[in-house]
Amino acid sequence: MDRILLDALVTGLPMIPVFLGIYTVFRLREDFDLTVEGSFAAGGAVTTVTLIAGLHPALALVAGALAGGVCGVLTAGLHLWLRIPVLLAGLVMSIGLFSVTLHILGTPTRSLLAVPTVFTWFPATPGAGADLRMSIILAVFVTALVTAYAWFLRTEVGLALRATGVNALMARSQGVNDRAITVLSLFLANAMAGFGGGLIVQTQGYADVNMGIGTFVAGIGALLLGELLVRPGRSTVLRIVVCVAAGTLAYRLILVVALRAGLPAGDLRGVTALTLVVAVAAQRHLRDAVGALRARMTPDPKLEGSTR
Amino acid sequence: MLELDEVGLVHNHRRTDEVVALKDLSLTAPAGQFVTVIGSNGAGKSSLVRVVSGAARPTSGRVRLCGRDMTRLPDYRRAGLVARVFDDPRAGTAPELSVEDNMALAMSRGERRTLRFALSAKRRALMRERLAELGLGLEDRLPDRVGLLSAGQRQSLTMVMAGLTRPEVLLLDEHLAALDPGTAQRVLGLTAELVRGVGCTTLMITHNMDHALALGERLLVMSRGRVVADLDQRDKRAASVADLVELIAGAGDTVSDRILLREDTPIETTKGQQ
Ligand SMILES: Nc1ncnc2c1ncn2[C@@H]1O[C@H](COP(=O)(O)OP(=O)(O)OP(=O)(O)O)[C@@H](O)[C@H]1O
Ligand SMILES: [Mg+2]
Repeated sequence: MDRILLDALVTGLPMIPVFLGIYTVFRLREDFDLTVEGSFAAGGAVTTVTLIAGLHPALALVAGALAGGVCGVLTAGLHLWLRIPVLLAGLVMSIGLFSVTLHILGTPTRSLLAVPTVFTWFPATPGAGADLRMSIILAVFVTALVTAYAWFLRTEVGLALRATGVNALMARSQGVNDRAITVLSLFLANAMAGFGGGLIVQTQGYADVNMGIGTFVAGIGALLLGELLVRPGRSTVLRIVVCVAAGTLAYRLILVVALRAGLPAGDLRGVTALTLVVAVAAQRHLRDAVGALRARMTPDPKLEGSTR
Repeated sequence: MLELDEVGLVHNHRRTDEVVALKDLSLTAPAGQFVTVIGSNGAGKSSLVRVVSGAARPTSGRVRLCGRDMTRLPDYRRAGLVARVFDDPRAGTAPELSVEDNMALAMSRGERRTLRFALSAKRRALMRERLAELGLGLEDRLPDRVGLLSAGQRQSLTMVMAGLTRPEVLLLDEHLAALDPGTAQRVLGLTAELVRGVGCTTLMITHNMDHALALGERLLVMSRGRVVADLDQRDKRAASVADLVELIAGAGDTVSDRILLREDTPIETTKGQQ
């Protein structure tokens, strides 16, 4: 049981920033950005080569995040300049970024075993298992980033970002430059994807040019799962963060359990798809049931109105 | 001071479905003047508002505000000077954001948005104070989603948001259209108060002739992209609803059935145009 939880933590924690980025575009902007598949791998690749070049592990993470962010800005550029939907721009980017990532890495996979990472850089906690130590270090990085992001969402600029996705006309009439916000949101979403990619390569000890494939769908599945557990709104930033974190870890837990139950690794995609279907079905049909349960658990009727 | 200099607005320019929404329209409204605008459907009233707010760029002519040429400035960069209330109560607020977030968004209007927290104790206190003036109890509902408010409450909130940053120009495009008569009356009272308090140049578009006569110190009648009558304070006092209907009909327009005619007004309208 402990092993399952630790596995879920070690593989899930690095994905929290990535999925928070997906949430930003998917829920706050109400759009689909497939760039994450490419920027996740590109961020991982940049972190890998900068680590190999001897950059400080934390700075290598920043480099990976910036690389991801640049991918997002390019997508935004395609969207605004060619006036194609973000979905299409992101698709084009994710395909093109595969080649870019391959060039950055030089080979399809690149090992980090001989190179110091954030895990070797921090002193080992005596007596604790390697995975536990790893999860703690990951948790520190992820918590720092997620806190900073939640803080950002509550600033004036962050509020503008949350507003443009729901009513762009209104946001513009309140002086928000929605084109600039589009660029900013895609930058942030993909920077977080790149950061997550950098964490993953350091966790698993290698970078793989294919590592981004399936990230987007996995993210949507995790978010839908999270929304079943916590119902976030645009004005409840804390809930957004909790929803993404809970969804990501729950999703990883399902995968780890499936693996432990003896499912071959090749079937994981199937499990992801199934999770997505179940989460969507549950959102559609369980919502009322969950809502009723929630209402019974929160007796104060005024609270019901204000917490959503 | 708001100045429009021979403003033209053409949709689908040089195509077969070309529509002229505004035709060489010139208008000067001194600072603080309250102007009501009437006209049949398609007369170009909303186009006038869109040109002033920056949502549409004129095909020809100039738009000046306080002496500054604003013609090429996009709407979000005029927001500090121009506030807008839409006809659709859902358009002026973000339904999924809380009341306080909506108001905070409006409080940063016209300023550079920074990485300061959007909500602060000081801002919340100001919000409560402004909302309390409405007498709708909204001051106790700051964390509520705006989507939970009624149309009248939302439109009142939009009005309050419009006045938060003291705009130079206030644009009201049929902002009472979706409200029931009682609520419309209340929001109308709020409008008069707000305009008096802020002292901004105001364009209020309405299909209600009584409202057009009761409020403001100047009345414009629009038809086919032009101003066909411009009544000053004195003309306006002397005018009756029948006179206004006459003015619209005289311009060759059908009088829309949305115009609320009084019992004693002779019905000479051709129903149609939706
Ligand atoms: N986006 C657009 N594309 C093409 N034509 C348009 C567009 N917007 C407005 N028009 C046309 O411009 C003219 C003026 O429209 P406008 O909305 O200004 O009228 P209005 O006076 O506000 O009417 P209403 O009383 O119905 O609101 C109309 O003929 C309309 O069909
Ligand atoms: Mg109109």
